Amino acid sequence: MGFDPAFALSCVPTILSAIGTTLLVAAVSCFGAATIGFLFEMARRIGGIAGMASGFAIDFIRSTPVLIWLYFLYFVLPFYGIRLGSMTVGIMGLSLYYSGYLAEVFKAGIDAIPKGQPEAARALSLSRRDTVIYVIAPQMMRNIAAPLGNYFVSILKATPYLAVLAVPDMLGRAFDIASETYRYAEPLVVAGLIFLALALLISYGVKRLERRLLAGGTR
Amino acid sequence: MSLFDIWLGILKGVGTTAAVTAYGLLFAVPFALGFGVAQYLTVGVARLLVTAVIEFWRSSAVIILLFVFYYALPVFGISLSAWTVSAMVLGLNAGGYASQAVRAGLQALPSGQKEAGAALGLSRPAILFLIELPQALVAMSPTFVNTVIQLVKATALVSLVTLSDMTFRAKEIAQVEYNPVAIYTALLLAFFVVCYPIALAGRWLEARIAAPGSRAGGI
Repeated sequence: MGFDPAFALSCVPTILSAIGTTLLVAAVSCFGAATIGFLFEMARRIGGIAGMASGFAIDFIRSTPVLIWLYFLYFVLPFYGIRLGSMTVGIMGLSLYYSGYLAEVFKAGIDAIPKGQPEAARALSLSRRDTVIYVIAPQMMRNIAAPLGNYFVSILKATPYLAVLAVPDMLGRAFDIASETYRYAEPLVVAGLIFLALALLISYGVKRLERRLLAGGTR
Repeated sequence: MSLFDIWLGILKGVGTTAAVTAYGLLFAVPFALGFGVAQYLTVGVARLLVTAVIEFWRSSAVIILLFVFYYALPVFGISLSAWTVSAMVLGLNAGGYASQAVRAGLQALPSGQKEAGAALGLSRPAILFLIELPQALVAMSPTFVNTVIQLVKATALVSLVTLSDMTFRAKEIAQVEYNPVAIYTALLLAFFVVCYPIALAGRWLEARIAAPGSRAGGI
């Protein structure tokens, strides 16, 4: 049968038309993962039972595969009468899975702030809330920008998992073409190359951002 | 079907999960060492080629790589078993990540180490194998443990290319028994039971080494 480059080229527009779905899923999942991850990390810092439960939840999520989380949500939620679209379930799965990793990013970002900063804030009699908003958060943002960008790339590379739940992302489109034409090689190779190009492009952007932030130095 | 039967059914797949992991390590470890060292030693065009190979395996979405190699290789006249394709793709993907730890470990060594070796009249290979690699391997061992965990978790994907691992068994049970909560909880726990002890071992290792600059958090 052989690999038909002309047919591969003809797959490009169909697969590329789903790039919006892929980027949207990745962006929303990254936002969801950051939100849940931040809450996990805050709960862990409070300590006590909430802290221990949160720490265990983070470890549990990180010890289990993302594919199983997607299956879990996809099959368990309807069992309790919660019916959501497969894309929503997919975004929830990715958000939950990556929140375990982003919690560690927040932890490292906060730990890297010198102790003198919150101490100085207290010496100036700032409230706890103001300390977090005006002293901790801005410095944390600079520390987490680059790792957050790297995890965005990881999440982007995990979006094709949603094709397993029949979400029409780029891999899903590739499989649509494959099942219509009985040719698997060409559409899959095209989808793979587009994902590779996208991942390399965003990684490069993150690296440049990291260099600029490092060049900014500490004030 | 009782909870016990569900557990037993899923555990039938643990052999496949373990075998794919072990077979995958046969690809991951040599790739990580070979390409990590090569990226450290080479310059110019040679380094560009080494980096391109690493980036291909590291930056591609692993689920797409698996499908591409499973469906596209036969088109090029190469037929490998689902076992070999799975081990190769998952192994080289993990190896790509680990190669960066090898390179970073080598680069992090003070240049005095290499210079002292040269001053003692050791050849370049002798310096690499007797002085640089032993120290770098100790420094990168926690990262390597993380890679093993990522590989174990990635094996859940082989259920999509017909191998009967734990995930495959769980889906089989789900077809005859409508009890998604018990089945998928058991599957999550099965992975947790395998991966969490490895993560704890990695943390212990990291605390023992306590190298400055090593990544915190385990998993």
